Amino acid sequence: MAANINEIRNTVLAIANKNNYGYISPSDFNLYAKQAQMDMFEDYFYQYNNWINRQNGRTSGSGYADILKSLVEVIEGFSVTSFLAQTLANQYALPADYYFIDKLFYYPTVLSTGTNTFVNAFKLTDGAATFSNLTAPYTPPVGSLIVNTTTVGECFVTNVDSPTVLSISGDIMNLNDSYVIYENTNITEVERVSQNKIFYLTSSPLTAPSAQFPAYTLEGNTVTVYPTVIGPNVGSSVFSQWAASRVQAQYIRYPLTPQWTFVALAGGEPVFNNTAATFQDFELPDSDEPALIAKICQYVGIEIREGDVYQFGTAELNEETQTTT
Amino acid sequence: MAYINDYQYYENGGANPEDANWGSYQYTSLEEIVNNFMLMYQGNNELLNNLSRYQVLFYAKRGIQELNYDAMKEIKILELDVCNSLRFVLPQDFVNWVRVSVYRNGFLLPLVENIQTNWSGAYLQDNNCNILFDQDGNVLKPQHSNLDMDRILGSKKSIYLNANSPFNNQAGFNVDGSWYFDYAIGARFGLNPETANQNPTFSIDKKSGVINFSSGVINDMVIVEYVSDGMENGNNASIEVNKLFEDYIYAFIRYSILNGRLGVQEYIVNRARKDKSALLRNAKIRLSNIHPGRLLQNLRGQAKWIK
Repeated sequence: MAANINEIRNTVLAIANKNNYGYISPSDFNLYAKQAQMDMFEDYFYQYNNWINRQNGRTSGSGYADILKSLVEVIEGFSVTSFLAQTLANQYALPADYYFIDKLFYYPTVLSTGTNTFVNAFKLTDGAATFSNLTAPYTPPVGSLIVNTTTVGECFVTNVDSPTVLSISGDIMNLNDSYVIYENTNITEVERVSQNKIFYLTSSPLTAPSAQFPAYTLEGNTVTVYPTVIGPNVGSSVFSQWAASRVQAQYIRYPLTPQWTFVALAGGEPVFNNTAATFQDFELPDSDEPALIAKICQYVGIEIREGDVYQFGTAELNEETQTTT
Repeated sequence: MAYINDYQYYENGGANPEDANWGSYQYTSLEEIVNNFMLMYQGNNELLNNLSRYQVLFYAKRGIQELNYDAMKEIKILELDVCNSLRFVLPQDFVNWVRVSVYRNGFLLPLVENIQTNWSGAYLQDNNCNILFDQDGNVLKPQHSNLDMDRILGSKKSIYLNANSPFNNQAGFNVDGSWYFDYAIGARFGLNPETANQNPTFSIDKKSGVINFSSGVINDMVIVEYVSDGMENGNNASIEVNKLFEDYIYAFIRYSILNGRLGVQEYIVNRARKDKSALLRNAKIRLSNIHPGRLLQNLRGQAKWIK
């Protein structure tokens, strides 16, 4: 469960509100909350590395003592998997909110392509298709990935009802939407290669990127995938090239900016409103609440020129650091 | 390869070619090797970490190449007709030959490699033996050397006791300028067994990528058994290795990476090296396939009468 922004704000105000001059406006609080959350979010990756070193030094336990596991759970709470937008033949744009690209991958085998010709909830109907449920595995096999290339929605095949109708796990098909069905058993990772290695790699007969072992380089917000053409695929020659809705990224996104929102002033105080469209709670877990409070107190202490508040925040964080590292 | 049901195995799920999966269970694909290595041998808590997949791919392929040179008994065989040029262009994936035979009248006749050369390059020369050059300073070369021409035209004599032997397949002795021949009266004294073969001979011109034959194989069908490096003309999807070697490949990759890494203790490198060597020996023994049925059949050969 995520740390509650209102509780944190109330606690910070309680700490800072000495002689009634430690008031923090909502906009200032939101600024400090964003900074504090970002700071702690980044800190998770350093802690992760630190705990791996401790694990390898055999000073970390397992079971409830497996600190690394809880860190991974928090980090992977920010994990997102999505298709990348194709910008050129073998180039794709990365999502705007990515912090860390964990992996790029693609589905090498296209089983079929077509158009949805009839709308029915949780069904894909293609009058020109030749699906088959005569012998297992069905064509396409249950579990194959269906991508609506018109809306970039995705779901899975749950059954082959007839030669023209599939049952699917998501209600994603509209009339005349195009789709592609990928085999879901041999997903291939596209490997990150640094810019200073890529031409050595492409020139080497042994390691040149191929459909089985593709690679990518990163430039700005664009990835270039290699080989530039990935070869023919089952059932379609159209997809012998990189295409839209083909390459996916699994990445860690930035946390959303926390927003403490209010409706009106009552007795000079803004009244908290968590139904506002712009409301955003913290995304870090509840257990980070003390550290978030301490960090915000540091900023607040500087704003109101109150050394005690700043020192309280610093001391709390030091204690936290000693406990967790 | 992935586990498949019987219908997929025997009939490829109704698709062509029907035999695509036959015998496939013996092998592990390159993709699986790389995948397994990345999964099991590299990571934050493993001996190896921060590896790029292309490093593993490189060493996996190098390991497979070494296996093919060293231990694999997976011979490729190619049959081609030899025409007037008396040459057989080596297969694209040729690394070394095992046996060269002529297929004639329903028999496979194994050929011997000529201990002499039967091919040569040549430079054009004038009457004074000066080498001739073109205007760019490059030496002028004929299409064929005299040695090649003689071989192709069938006028080159052979030290082997075949049709090109100087004395019609007979070993002779030159005494005081006169030739004497020892006809078969129960024995052939003075015969050189090394060249006592009546089949045509061959010689491999590796740089030119051809096998040159003596003139006796014109319009014959030649069968070349050879070893390749297992790289399947660069098609990663076709590269595979027998499961008996799988552990060796992992050990080879592990050793190769550790050996090239900075700051790895020598005892760890040594451990990996010994591991690799032991597994190679182990794999060779496994692949030699010694079992009683084969031994028995070989031992039955001892009953053959030697004339």
